[in-house]
Amino acid sequence: MRGRLLAMLLKEFRQLAADWPIVMIILFGFFGGVYLAGHSGAVDLKNYPVVVLDLSKSNESRELVSRLRPPNFKIVDVVHGDREVVASLDAARASLAVIIPPGFARDVQESRGRFQVISDGTQSQMAMLAAAYIAQIAGQYGIELLERRIGSSEDQLASLPQVDARIRVEFNPSINAAWFASLFELFNVITMTSLLLTAAALVREKEHGTLEQLLVSPLRPAELFAAKIIPTVIVVLLLSPVSLYAIVHGVHGTPLRGSPLLFYAVTVLFVFSIASLGLALAVIARNLPQAMMLMLLTLWPMMFLSGAMTPPESMAPWMRYLGLLSPLRYFIDLGFQVLFKGNGLMYVWQDILGILVLGSGLFAFAVWRFRRLL
Amino acid sequence: MLDRVPAIAMKETRELLRDPIYLGLAFVLPMMMLLLFGFGMTLDVKHLPVAFVDHDDSPWSRDYRDRFVHSEYFDLVGVLGRRTEVDEWLRTGRARVIVDVPPGFGRDLARGRPTAVGVTVDGSFPSRAAVIVGYVSAINGLYNQQLLVDLAARRGFGASGLLPVQVNMSVWYNPTLESKNAVVPGLLVLILMMFPALLGALLIVREKESGTIFNLYASPTGRLEIILGKLLTYLAVAMLDYLAIFAMSRWIFEVRFTGSFLVLTAGAVLYAVCTIGVGLLISILTRSQLAAMFATFLVTLTPAFNYSGFITPVASMDPVGQFVAQLIPATHFMTVVRGSYLKGFGFGYYWPQLGALAAYTLAVYSLAWLFLRKRIG
Repeated sequence: MRGRLLAMLLKEFRQLAADWPIVMIILFGFFGGVYLAGHSGAVDLKNYPVVVLDLSKSNESRELVSRLRPPNFKIVDVVHGDREVVASLDAARASLAVIIPPGFARDVQESRGRFQVISDGTQSQMAMLAAAYIAQIAGQYGIELLERRIGSSEDQLASLPQVDARIRVEFNPSINAAWFASLFELFNVITMTSLLLTAAALVREKEHGTLEQLLVSPLRPAELFAAKIIPTVIVVLLLSPVSLYAIVHGVHGTPLRGSPLLFYAVTVLFVFSIASLGLALAVIARNLPQAMMLMLLTLWPMMFLSGAMTPPESMAPWMRYLGLLSPLRYFIDLGFQVLFKGNGLMYVWQDILGILVLGSGLFAFAVWRFRRLL
Repeated sequence: MLDRVPAIAMKETRELLRDPIYLGLAFVLPMMMLLLFGFGMTLDVKHLPVAFVDHDDSPWSRDYRDRFVHSEYFDLVGVLGRRTEVDEWLRTGRARVIVDVPPGFGRDLARGRPTAVGVTVDGSFPSRAAVIVGYVSAINGLYNQQLLVDLAARRGFGASGLLPVQVNMSVWYNPTLESKNAVVPGLLVLILMMFPALLGALLIVREKESGTIFNLYASPTGRLEIILGKLLTYLAVAMLDYLAIFAMSRWIFEVRFTGSFLVLTAGAVLYAVCTIGVGLLISILTRSQLAAMFATFLVTLTPAFNYSGFITPVASMDPVGQFVAQLIPATHFMTVVRGSYLKGFGFGYYWPQLGALAAYTLAVYSLAWLFLRKRIG
């Protein structure tokens, strides 16, 4: 039995190596893709481009403008007329316009200062964050003005009722998006590789008509499937640590706190689980385009419900429950818990169980459908 | 010289119509993607689980807590007396943010003295963390304002209830800040990137795998005729997709459309020609359908998703990100699409984007033409 499996494995590897474009593409995914994902933009408000129209030209207005500073805001343009403000927003050179009216200084003294902010709403999430920050800047400025008025001397200033919210972001203190994005891309590449390579390996036999030869050979279905899954597992296990340490950790500086061994053990399970899904789809499909359709039909909902695009708590309950059927959901949860938070086995055993149950179920389904085919 | 183009286009069309799989890939999946992501993808982060550690337990601390509870952004998952348990909640994800109110919080405020609270945010998902930091700061800021306004009123300064500096916020282009207005037009860009490229990518490599490519090699058909014939059929497919998506965006998702349909259509034609070309190029360069598929995913969908400005604005990317953004056609088409839907200008406004798309298209087809010759010769 071992001889048969070994021969089959050798054949699979030879076939993979012969298709050099696919080898290049996988390498690109694990290294280039993961590298580039770290540069796909900040998720918090960083250098948000602002255009300023200051009609007041007073100390008060200048003080307000000086508060629009990096890291959150960047003044890209100071203009002198309405038209220029509009042009700046239309061309998306600026995403926020701050317009300070002529009587601002006087109004501020009379406690009714108002200024106008126009926000580009095309990117709704960023616009909402910007609104929160601007409101905070205006509020803080107002508080300081009130403080100056109420507390005339220094020691009185220090004794005003104020709550200082000391915010600390655990696990990623400077909200570096690259840490998350590169790791998430690595998980995606692992998923895509596991699904595509395995499904293609089986469908190819169907398309070339060599499946019948394998069927009449003494090879058992489970052996055939093992021969299709093992190369994928090996490819992923060879490439993902290199990518994890060289790119995610090395280039993007993501701290890896947890146990790499635990993560790798689960990666094997996960690849097995997704590869089983690939096999199940390949058993149903007649050719590669058909398999691809089925893969897209399963891959998208899986990525969506994984909790990495929309946080689980913001999802509708039915989506959260549906997500429990996706191995990716458990893997992402586990990956971030183990690698980011340094959580151990006792925190993630449910995720492991989920991957194991879904994977075995899919494998059993693939074998069952395949037997019926015979 | 190009008289065989219609014949090739006819052959491709017939093949397409006979194959339910390709039809599904061409029409059913794009619509599914639109419906799935359009309805399911919400970028609004709400109902974040917050836990309070209240060492003070005074009317003041309860009032402060109410500010969080009564906003739609936070859901209170628990109030505890001890700190240790709650750290555990952050690890397990039961709470995403913990507010630690120290003993004496109410006493300090009542005596008119400053105090502090400790806020710990789960940073494992950065976009969520950024939003939490924004919300917490805003709620805390409002609370402070209220404290000062009350104090000022008590001491007889200023008009009570009024704040010295206020913001008049107006939002342009998408006044309700609904994420569907950002997501659905963005999906048009992603779908017209992915499916034309995917169909194009399978075209030549499929003939390579089945061996029919030799019929083409042996026939007197020129390279340009092969490329154009295949392009015509799939351009028609892409345009049908485009019209369907446009109709759905207007009448199912009810996205605002303020611009010129003509400009958008011109952009879509150029963009689809370009993305089919990307697929054809991949198809010419690869040997198997698997490689073609995989390459299409990696060089079209992922970059378009990450760099086109679909989720994060190009302006907030670092230099590497901005460079990649300029390099992919999706970014340029995204400007045309978002602009046409939400900002609404004419042709004069978009010529740099349309020009970039044209240049990109020309480059892709020149490369395809060059590499196709190598294989035939």
